[in-house]
Amino acid sequence: MKTPPRWARYLLHWFSAPHRVDELEGDLDELFQQRVEQLGIRKARRRYVKDVLSLMRPSLIKRQQPGWRSGAYAQPESLGRTGRTTLSLGSIMIQNYVKIAWRNLMRAKGYASINIAGLAVGMAASALIFLWIQSELNYDRFYSKTDRLFQVYNRDIFSGNAQVWGTTPKPLAPELKQNYPDIEDATRFRPTSFLLTAADKKLNSEGAYADPSFLSLFDFSLLAGNREKVLSGNNGIVITKTLAEKLFGTTDALGKVVQLDHKDSFSVTGVLDDLPNNTQFNGVSFLLPWTAFVTPSWDSDGWASNNNYTYVLLKDRVNPDVVNEKIKRLTATHLKGEINDVSNRQIFLHPASKWHLYSKQDNGQLTEGKIVTVRLFGIIAAFILLIAAVNFINLSTARSEKRAKEVGVRKVAGAQKSALIFQFISESVMLAFLSGILALLLIVLCIPTFNDLTDKQLTLSFGSVNFWVAAIGFVLFTGLLAGSYPAFFLANFQPVKVMKGISQSVHAVFSPRKGLVIAQFTFAIVLIIATLVIKHQINYAQNRESGYDRNNLVFTYLTGDLQEHYGSLQQELIQSGAAVAVSQSLGPITSINSRQWGLSWPGSTKADKDVEFDRFGADADFLKTTGTKLLAGREIDIRTYPTDSSAVLLNETAVKTMHLKKPVGTSISFDSRDWHVVGVVKDFIFASPYEAVNPVVVHGPKGSVPLAWASIRLNPANTTAKNLELAESVFKKYNPGYPFDYSFADESYKAKFADEQRTGLLTSLFTGLTIFISCLGLFGLAAYTAQQRTKEIGVRKVLGASVPSIIQLLTKDFIQLLGIAFVIGAPIGWYAMEKWLQDYNYRIAIGAGVFILTLCSSLLIVVLTVSFQAIKAALMNPVTSLRSE
Amino acid sequence: MKGTYLGEFEEVVLLAVAIRSGDAYGATVVTEIEQQMNRSVNLGAVHSALNRLGEKGLVTSELGGMTAERGGRRKRLYSVTAAGRRALQEIRQVRNQMWESIPTTVWT
Repeated sequence: MKTPPRWARYLLHWFSAPHRVDELEGDLDELFQQRVEQLGIRKARRRYVKDVLSLMRPSLIKRQQPGWRSGAYAQPESLGRTGRTTLSLGSIMIQNYVKIAWRNLMRAKGYASINIAGLAVGMAASALIFLWIQSELNYDRFYSKTDRLFQVYNRDIFSGNAQVWGTTPKPLAPELKQNYPDIEDATRFRPTSFLLTAADKKLNSEGAYADPSFLSLFDFSLLAGNREKVLSGNNGIVITKTLAEKLFGTTDALGKVVQLDHKDSFSVTGVLDDLPNNTQFNGVSFLLPWTAFVTPSWDSDGWASNNNYTYVLLKDRVNPDVVNEKIKRLTATHLKGEINDVSNRQIFLHPASKWHLYSKQDNGQLTEGKIVTVRLFGIIAAFILLIAAVNFINLSTARSEKRAKEVGVRKVAGAQKSALIFQFISESVMLAFLSGILALLLIVLCIPTFNDLTDKQLTLSFGSVNFWVAAIGFVLFTGLLAGSYPAFFLANFQPVKVMKGISQSVHAVFSPRKGLVIAQFTFAIVLIIATLVIKHQINYAQNRESGYDRNNLVFTYLTGDLQEHYGSLQQELIQSGAAVAVSQSLGPITSINSRQWGLSWPGSTKADKDVEFDRFGADADFLKTTGTKLLAGREIDIRTYPTDSSAVLLNETAVKTMHLKKPVGTSISFDSRDWHVVGVVKDFIFASPYEAVNPVVVHGPKGSVPLAWASIRLNPANTTAKNLELAESVFKKYNPGYPFDYSFADESYKAKFADEQRTGLLTSLFTGLTIFISCLGLFGLAAYTAQQRTKEIGVRKVLGASVPSIIQLLTKDFIQLLGIAFVIGAPIGWYAMEKWLQDYNYRIAIGAGVFILTLCSSLLIVVLTVSFQAIKAALMNPVTSLRSE
Repeated sequence: MKGTYLGEFEEVVLLAVAIRSGDAYGATVVTEIEQQMNRSVNLGAVHSALNRLGEKGLVTSELGGMTAERGGRRKRLYSVTAAGRRALQEIRQVRNQMWESIPTTVWT
């Protein structure tokens, strides 16, 4: 078909003026036909498109004007006139507004840049926080069936304390799915870690065993493989994209073989896209079929051991409360007879939308948690924006006198109040847009650092319409927020007064702004208090005596055959000079691997069975390796005393809890065995440095859980690198198939503070920003007041006032405001931080020091900001200042 | 003389309208210029030039009849006004004057 390109024709119809479409299209067609003959279809079509594009010019797009006679072009003179009058009055006024706004900006560049910069910083900061909040709110909530997904939790009461925990028995999921029609599907999930080998690549990776339905409950995108089938076989493995690339160098891994711990081989049945950052399964890099799971010796397949996670999918439109009621006693009925008291044992459903944000347990309920931080940051973001807006309001109203004449003239010339309001609001929206552009730039610059700080992967999605709608909405909102007060304030001026030159007195203009400045400073003071308290609390916990020597201490998991060869491994490590002491352990001393209740000892009551003990295990050299102190008796040493395999060390707290007069020699029983106490060690921080020390039992190797870790005290005479090199060669000798992975005690210990440190860093960042923005505003305001009082200062100086007295005069007002803000802010800060500290058992008391420091620092900041202007004004020669008219 | 100043392309378009008088519209003006000057011309450029000429009062236009090759669409027929003719003549006169002022020695 010899037709011109259709899209070009649509384009023509879209842009061209209706009264011209016909003739233009006619011309195009005629030329097209000619060109087909002369040049051929391809060139003709190309020329057609070129012509259409060339028709896109204003003179041809312009719609027919009312004064236009059809059939002939108007004469030049009349055209000019109609062209002008057809511009509506509104658009002329808008042009005028923009012009005046621009002139005002240019006339006071300093003021304008303070205003725009302050607003931009405020916008950027609050936008970053909003991005963060958005990502937090989206955590684990992006699955297509989110609102029907639940995790099953256990609840019970131990020594009067209600407890909840998220691990459940192995038979729970199948039973739920089978016997409860409300539950559409259920899956078990059990985290695990293996050494994966493929060809010559070896990788220690974290993954999990899961039922086949796992991937239909959580619809992570599968790059290859069938969602229903990938986990249904016995020896299939699903790996993530990154893992596939690491192991095979390609994502095309289907059918390739992966070996686990040099034993079983699995073939890849599916490749998952990398799991998003905001899911709790983020760390998982492979999935194994549940059928391949072998229950370890210390675990059991019964209802009594809780070591698996259970997730369920409810049927559509099923009320979770009803289901909760139905399944509540399920585990209890199975446990009857297996554990002593099942009367309080319950299970319940925790909805997916609350997994991340509501995960703190409080008296047997899962309440609050991270949502508190989200709310807190939301408030902070809103306040930062508010402070920036307050600045804007302050500076605009302060400069109102400059605009008063303009308002007067406009009113006399017939401007409506609404028109004036519109003018000033659109002016502030314009400024907001300028700030918005600057803010966008700031965000782009700061986002990598912010991501590092918050451990997130936030991005601005420039491609999406939503982003731009949100951004423009945000800017408009800020503009309206910041512009509304000045607009009404200015529009209310009475023309007679302002034209006569009766301006409102300095104090009258100042007073409505006092409130705003006070609000700003109150917020700044609350934040300063928060920063200081968080810093003190972190320092306090960091300086807490840990009870063991963290330097030169490393842990390693005994992979492969190492547990069998432990004896020779230990000897060779010492002989090689890499270590001075090695102890086989239940886990790293920086984290609790196991807890135990149900202990009994001479004189223990039934209630004592509920007391929870932290468990640690050692074969020998526990003291020498970890650096803990012995208070009584001796340490466990199975090499000297073979019976020590059932020996136990207690910590001080345990002795106190058990009310033992002479602990050494006492016999206690737990883990279905009798143990004898051989010594008492000084308390050491096993768990969180913010918690009180729990009772601890350190037991010999006879427990049901194997001592699968080695703690190694490196040789202080060598460098760490040398020690690790030596140790690695020993490990390689006994366990050639595995890489030598280890962790340092001091680093693990430091990691315990990471959360608080992050909160601390973010708070100080926001405090800094708030202070910066407040200071910008204050600086502008001070400059303005100083300028306003130029004449007054001149007269005072002529009459003999000293420079300090004038500086004092100018700073006094601001210091007064700060004082009021402190009186309001200090109790708020104190209350908020008391609440924050309540989460910590080991905590500081907020002393007067914090408040004194806050007052002094904020005073210093205010004085520095204001006095620059004050000194400038005070040093001015009265001759020039009095002549200035 | 502001308002009647003619650009080079406007002059060409105006001449083409004169050549095709009675049948001068967008497409014919384009083909006329292409044939006479042996260069390709965009329809948009021609239309906007015609527009400007109209604004200056050098051409008038009226909607003309339909032809089959235009798919039954009407065309806007342009004709040179008296002012247009005067403008062309003026240009020609100025050119001639300038030609005559060239000293003969230059060409030898």
